[in-house]
Amino acid sequence: MESKRSKYILIGLSVFCILLIGVTSFVDGFLSPLRTGMGFFLNPIQSGINKAGTSLYNSVSNYSSLKNAMEEKQVLQAQIDSLIEENSRLQAEQFELERLRDLYQMDQDYLQYEKIGARVIAKDSGDWFQVFRINKGSADGVRVDANVIAGGGLVGIVTDVGAHYATVRSIIDDVSRVSAMAQQSGDICIVGGDLTLFDEGRLRITNIAENGDIKDGDRIVTSNISAKFLPGILIGYATDITTDSTRLTKSGYLVPVAQFDSLQEVLVITELKEDEVTSETAEAEEPAESENAGEPETTADTEGE
Amino acid sequence: MKRIIINLLLLILAFTIQNCVIPLIPFLSAAPNLMLILTFSFGFIYGKEAGMYYGLFAGVLLDLFYSGPFGFYTLLFINIGYFNGICTKYYYEDYINLPLVLSLVNELIYNGYVYVFRFLIRNRLDIFYYAREIIIPETIFTVVTTLIIYRFFLSANRRLEEIENRRG
Repeated sequence: MESKRSKYILIGLSVFCILLIGVTSFVDGFLSPLRTGMGFFLNPIQSGINKAGTSLYNSVSNYSSLKNAMEEKQVLQAQIDSLIEENSRLQAEQFELERLRDLYQMDQDYLQYEKIGARVIAKDSGDWFQVFRINKGSADGVRVDANVIAGGGLVGIVTDVGAHYATVRSIIDDVSRVSAMAQQSGDICIVGGDLTLFDEGRLRITNIAENGDIKDGDRIVTSNISAKFLPGILIGYATDITTDSTRLTKSGYLVPVAQFDSLQEVLVITELKEDEVTSETAEAEEPAESENAGEPETTADTEGE
Repeated sequence: MKRIIINLLLLILAFTIQNCVIPLIPFLSAAPNLMLILTFSFGFIYGKEAGMYYGLFAGVLLDLFYSGPFGFYTLLFINIGYFNGICTKYYYEDYINLPLVLSLVNELIYNGYVYVFRFLIRNRLDIFYYAREIIIPETIFTVVTTLIIYRFFLSANRRLEEIENRRG
């Protein structure tokens, strides 16, 4: 009987799926060749459609922005004059800053990391997850856990790599957890995405120690102890920090630097945190230092789930 | 045979549109779920078994594209294909009410499934927020889009059938 047969097939397939879900929840990886093969097939289509869509969208928006540009030009011209004056003053200060930095050996800006540019070619269907795909993959040096930045701030982390694509989970995704710290005070906290805050363009900051010194407007950067994120990448600015009802920790919100609604180009840092840790451990001569680098971090299990 | 291939190509097209074009449209706060519409339409028109295989293909496509446990979408989509196929006995052409109701029900099941297994499981209990901000907008968009897509899908399939019959 046809209907009975299809019923058995349905049950068989469902059970098979459930088994696969169970297996891949624990060991993800043996399917990656399959996913890469899929990428080979789908990526040209996606890139093409994306390019066509983008150019269409751009030509429409170009026209409307031209009108605004005329008005803006007047305003900007006035600004330029004042900026030129300011610039010359700042340049003098810049030299001073460089000298001081040399003095303190503190040129730890994240500009030092090797980066490659990539284009966002696809986003997750639906609104439940904030995951997107870029057009650079393992062939270009992108690896799993590579950090992704745009507009001067952290955007996300690579979760899945094929030959010519990579999937990036952005920090505003509901499952994202980033170990972070306040740049000024060095207090550690956790920056997590939350779907309920997504519309306001904010993230959640939690696990600030009660005596920690994080104030509204502080720059929040990735922390030194994170297992996956390179230290010192700007994430955003803290707001509305309050003490939790338990009185043990404080929490608040974070306004990210990167603009997530208009992401088109991103930079992928090809250097990984683990590389840095291993090389540091190898280089470290003093035992105390190597101990630090190899120290198990408390936040590792909450991160990158 | 030709019909199957064209239907599969249609599915891939819907998938790429959903991922690449719809996110570019700035004023759309919610995106219609094209894959879901195609899967249940196919099941509704051609019956349980065909719907199930179509759902299998759609689900595998989604699962391959996103990291996470493999089979998550496949499980849902084969079941959607199958159970909508049961309604095929009420199918007759130019009948739009039932597809709309099915679209509504499927969309609620889909979102409920994602919510329960990806959010509730992590102790995100604020279901009313998610319902208001995601589930309801997406459902409305999908139902409205069903009006257009279903008609198009039906006429495309009817034309393909005609071509095949003429040959055979």
